[in-house]
Amino acid sequence: MSIQFTCDDKQTLIAYLYGEIEPAARRAIDEHLARCSACAAEAAALGGVRAELGLWMPPHAELDFAIVKKSELPPSNVLRPARWRNTVPVWAQAAAAVLMIAAAGAIANLQVKSGPDGLVVSTGWMQPALSERSAGDAASSRVEQPSDQEWKSALVAMEQQLRSEIRSTREQATPATARGSADDAMMRRVQQLITEAEKRHSQELAARLIDFTRDVNMQRRADLMNISRGMVSYEEQLQRQRQMINNVYRVSATPQQ
Amino acid sequence: MVATDEELVARSMQGDVDSFNQLVLRWERPIYALAYRVIGRDEDARDVAQETFLRAFRALPGFKGQAKFSSWLYRIALNLCRDWIRRKKRTPVVDMPEGVDVIELAAAQGPVESIEDLVARQEMSAIVAEGMKLLPDEQRTAIVLKEYHGLTFQEIADLQGCPLSTVKTRLYQGLSVLRRHLESQGMTKYEG
Repeated sequence: MSIQFTCDDKQTLIAYLYGEIEPAARRAIDEHLARCSACAAEAAALGGVRAELGLWMPPHAELDFAIVKKSELPPSNVLRPARWRNTVPVWAQAAAAVLMIAAAGAIANLQVKSGPDGLVVSTGWMQPALSERSAGDAASSRVEQPSDQEWKSALVAMEQQLRSEIRSTREQATPATARGSADDAMMRRVQQLITEAEKRHSQELAARLIDFTRDVNMQRRADLMNISRGMVSYEEQLQRQRQMINNVYRVSATPQQ
Repeated sequence: MVATDEELVARSMQGDVDSFNQLVLRWERPIYALAYRVIGRDEDARDVAQETFLRAFRALPGFKGQAKFSSWLYRIALNLCRDWIRRKKRTPVVDMPEGVDVIELAAAQGPVESIEDLVARQEMSAIVAEGMKLLPDEQRTAIVLKEYHGLTFQEIADLQGCPLSTVKTRLYQGLSVLRRHLESQGMTKYEG
């Protein structure tokens, strides 16, 4: 079965022009072009256009693109902010911890009582029912309240206890102890938040540094390109003017006939 | 022995930045030329080419190798060109060669063969560039990919996301517009 080519089959004509066609179809088009002058003219014209397209060249450009490794950037710890907990003395940290615990105790309405059962520590704002504090019991209640001396000793005992707890907490490697209190959990949470914030800040800083370095590099390359192009253009112009002057000399030196 | 694109891509995917830079060196000029011919501005073409490689580097882990690396790059570059044209909402502008007047003056004073050639080349290049500017984006892109980058009809169809027959039609229509433009500018009559 032979392949037929018709004048309006432009897609096949294009395939023929670019050489992406089966040999049988090529033969069919060759035979058609030998007979049809209009198609032959069009094929020649489009081929001529293709030849002219080869004249259009992009300008010479110094590109030199390159991906820059992270390790070639300035070390990210240069501008890293100092960790605040590394700059605060140990005694100040301990004082802050005591202050914090005392504040927490005040908020929790910490009450210390010394009685026959020993030292009793209680928290909360709940008051005893009024019925339990009848006016008649007022005198006995006053008797049951600890004296100033007892308060002082209780406070000293509590301070010592708190200090020993803080010391033992610091000595232990793992912060999560079996008797971890709500304060410890809060401290850990605060420290974790601070660490996360510092980490995030460092990442943002590194990203900005990368962007900044890239922008500077791009600007530098663009400036160099402009200078280079300007120089080339200037030299070309100079060369043309030189040739023009030479031509003028040549023409003026030619004897008039 | 020169490494193939596939070998360099494989090394790049393992974190070898130098291998990727070899690919950049190999493909930066074709990508720049593609961008220049599609959008017609030197500075913007440079930016598009640079962005093409940045995006390729970032997207490299997702490159599965179904297509050739060069086709993948062309696709990124063409998408960027399309974005550029859409963003700027303007037709491509082609930089005209400078200093033609001086050369013409020199030729008038005393024509020298090399100057004539230079002038002719520059003028014809400018006319071709002007003709390309007249084409719709799809036709211009198809001609650029076919004429200057030697892609097959099928590769162009894949890049442009259209049937193979559409690519041929775009090429035919684009060449026909260029033919009329060149003839209107006094260049060789192609009619038989």
